[in-house]
Amino acid sequence: MDNKQIQTYSLGFLGITLFTFALTQLPDSIHIFQSDRAVMFALLLIIIMVMLNEVKQARISSDSIFLRTIPGLKAVEEAVGRSTEMGRPILYVPGIMDMNEVETVAGVIILGHVAQMTAQYETSLDVPVARSIVMQAARESCKEAYLTQGRPEMFNEDMVHYITDDQFAYAAGVNGIMQRDKPAACMYMGKFYAESLLFAETGNSIGAIQIAGTASQAQIPFFVTACDYTLMGEEYFAASAYLSRKPELIAGVKTQDMVKLMLISFIGVALLSRALSDLGLTSFNLLTWLGL
Amino acid sequence: MFLKRYIPIGIVAFFGSLTLFGWFIDNKSVEAFINDDATQWYDIIASFAIFLGALNLLKLQFLKVIKRQQGWQYSVVAITSFFFAFTIGFFMKGAFFVGEDVYFTQKAAEQAVLVSGSSESVIPVEWGAHISAEGGLFKWMFDSIFTPLSATMFALLAFYVASASYRAFRARNFEATLLLLAGIIIMLGRVPVGSLITPWMVMYLLVFVGTIFMSTYFRDRKLIFGSFVLGLLGVTALGINMDWNPTQPAIFFLPSLQEWIYTVPNLAGARAIMIGIGLGIIVTSLRYIFGLEKSYIGDQ
Repeated sequence: MDNKQIQTYSLGFLGITLFTFALTQLPDSIHIFQSDRAVMFALLLIIIMVMLNEVKQARISSDSIFLRTIPGLKAVEEAVGRSTEMGRPILYVPGIMDMNEVETVAGVIILGHVAQMTAQYETSLDVPVARSIVMQAARESCKEAYLTQGRPEMFNEDMVHYITDDQFAYAAGVNGIMQRDKPAACMYMGKFYAESLLFAETGNSIGAIQIAGTASQAQIPFFVTACDYTLMGEEYFAASAYLSRKPELIAGVKTQDMVKLMLISFIGVALLSRALSDLGLTSFNLLTWLGL
Repeated sequence: MFLKRYIPIGIVAFFGSLTLFGWFIDNKSVEAFINDDATQWYDIIASFAIFLGALNLLKLQFLKVIKRQQGWQYSVVAITSFFFAFTIGFFMKGAFFVGEDVYFTQKAAEQAVLVSGSSESVIPVEWGAHISAEGGLFKWMFDSIFTPLSATMFALLAFYVASASYRAFRARNFEATLLLLAGIIIMLGRVPVGSLITPWMVMYLLVFVGTIFMSTYFRDRKLIFGSFVLGLLGVTALGINMDWNPTQPAIFFLPSLQEWIYTVPNLAGARAIMIGIGLGIIVTSLRYIFGLEKSYIGDQ
């Protein structure tokens, strides 16, 4: 981080703090701000500021942003290649929830990148979905991917097909597809509940290479146990940036890391403040002062 | 191009910002929109979209049967079930009350009245209420066919958990051994027999695990064996010194140890993942709102 950036961020922090403070001090006649949420409001503005600044920087030069290797995403191409060699399809499951879940949206976006690879390698892709709106979005994503790869004739609308909205009926349907079609690679990217292990174990039993990605915390251990690669939490949300290599998306990943660093520092300072307060060395407690 | 690209991005930006910043606005109308109206709009759209899904399902299943593709017999079952549920839901009330008794058809209800010779009349259930009427045909179908089938799938989890645990708990390396040990402690510590196991047994177990850990880094057999024997002797000496007190050392008492594993290292790891997920969700959502990520509308 150079001096100019430090200056930008310092001014930004100061501006956001003053703006938030001003909002809390508005007269009652025009007071529409939730003052008890002021800290979160300021934090949100800080995240937006960091993101927009990083996007601007990345558009000028994205070479300086280092993106570590994520084995799970590197394995996506291997999985597509393996399916091509074996002449078997790829099964892609975008979770069981609707498009109002950010994980499902992320799953559909990753599907677009996977579809680009299957178009390149001329491998068949099967996407069973549990929601009609997801079906439409996934179709659009796949269609665009095949078009951009110059293979529109390979796109078939029915490669994305609806099964059912019900959790276990959907699990039964997908497991049936796995048992009958024996896909060489199974990818699970989206929001999952108890059906995660049903998918992953069935996929394991047919010998498919399995890659999972989810932000459903309770399902991560199941995927880690039964799948070859798992994208855990933030890795899953970085997938789109990693696969597309677009500077503005990579800047988003850098923003995540910068905010994480800020949070770690905040946790450290809050801990120290609490410890000093508890030991009676000072009467100031940062968390109480912030109303958290 | 304009209609397909910029209008969807504009809608996402407007409603995304409204929902996000509306949370900080103290206004009843905005709150009502965010908490109720917006979600109800989505539910209405999703309800209509189900027709697309149902038509797609039927199309593919019919094609499978016509082309006699592999497993076409299952498609026959799927199509039959679909029309069975559709007919019962839309065209049959399926619940006719005679006093407290419920019959599937009007004819059966009338016959029951005739046989019993009672003066009670047959009251059909209201449309809409017929799908949830206790004893009705739709509810019977749901409770007697659908629920057991779902429960069957859910029950498979028990077997899958066993096979997945077997693979995960194989002590191939230090990490897997640690997982195995933590798993054993958690499992034993949470059942009544766990409190009957003295901390001394746990300490002996830890000596074994410590030896496995050493063996992954050192190849000298004498050193490993010596450490193992020393560990056993140390625990034994401590036991004799403390008269093999069954509740001491308290830190190795299984219920306490499992509670510590669960609330300290486990929770710390889970929170670290949760913070990452939270940040990922925030930044991903902001990317959509600011139109930086456009892949969801097919823009590669």
